[in-house]
Amino acid sequence: MKSKIINMAEKIKDAQDRMLEALLATPPVADDGFSRRIVRRLQRRLWVRRLTLPVAAIIGGAIAFKPLTGLVSMLANLSVLLPKDIVTATTGSIPQLQVVVLGAILLLVFLLGMRFLED
Amino acid sequence: MIADTDHELVAKAVSAQDTTAFGDLIRRHQSHVRNFLRKLSGDYALADDLAQDCFMRAWDKLSSFSGRGSFIGWMLKIAYTTFLQSKRKSKRYAEILESAGQVTVQESGNHTAPVHELNDLDRLLAVLDEEERAIIVMSYACGLSHREIGDATNMPVGTVKSIIFRGKEKIRTHFEIEDHQYG
Repeated sequence: MKSKIINMAEKIKDAQDRMLEALLATPPVADDGFSRRIVRRLQRRLWVRRLTLPVAAIIGGAIAFKPLTGLVSMLANLSVLLPKDIVTATTGSIPQLQVVVLGAILLLVFLLGMRFLED
Repeated sequence: MIADTDHELVAKAVSAQDTTAFGDLIRRHQSHVRNFLRKLSGDYALADDLAQDCFMRAWDKLSSFSGRGSFIGWMLKIAYTTFLQSKRKSKRYAEILESAGQVTVQESGNHTAPVHELNDLDRLLAVLDEEERAIIVMSYACGLSHREIGDATNMPVGTVKSIIFRGKEKIRTHFEIEDHQYG
């Protein structure tokens, strides 16, 4: 009830209210491509956001590739220092470098694919 | 075909990151937002830039739109905040220039046309301070209820009403308008 009274009181307009309304009434502003420009800006931003993670992953992978191969070869050289028994025991289970790289690329492609499917 | 309501468009835009639905919302409300900012700033180009920023912000915050009030009320809240922030920024910029001993640039509120070019509306709004102007424009130009204005400006409804009253009094006294002159 109280809110109804408040609403009614709000709707009762005096002459000054009518004058202000008339004075402040302006013709609608034509869109003139305004909304299209914003939507384009938004779409561009969405694409940038979507691409940021995969691109960062690829760049990170590329940067990390060389040190990683160095690390793998260093570990391979270290195996010379290990007792022969251990080396022979583990040779079968240590994957080759090409296999590691191939696996990493496949994982990356899989992750990218999953992300695009999600989007 | 029945057009989607604002709330339905917001739901579409949020759930599917649908920029087309948001584009429909912009098309529907851009005129109100731009007119509001034009009246506040008195500068059409600045107002349109602010309106763009305002819609970009609205997109970022769209999931926080509760749907309790009207969408245009929520948009004008963002527009008002955007305007105040830009005003503060330009003020700070002017202060920095001043402290560096340079000639101060005009504040955003001074982008209006020269006095002899002012129309009735500009003269009328010039009498009011920023807060009064924003609230009077929201009320009389955008047709928001006192509650919606309260939500948009973070003020209690009573304060909104008293600011409107004060603004009207200022206009009345400044232009020496008698009651019988309105009719």
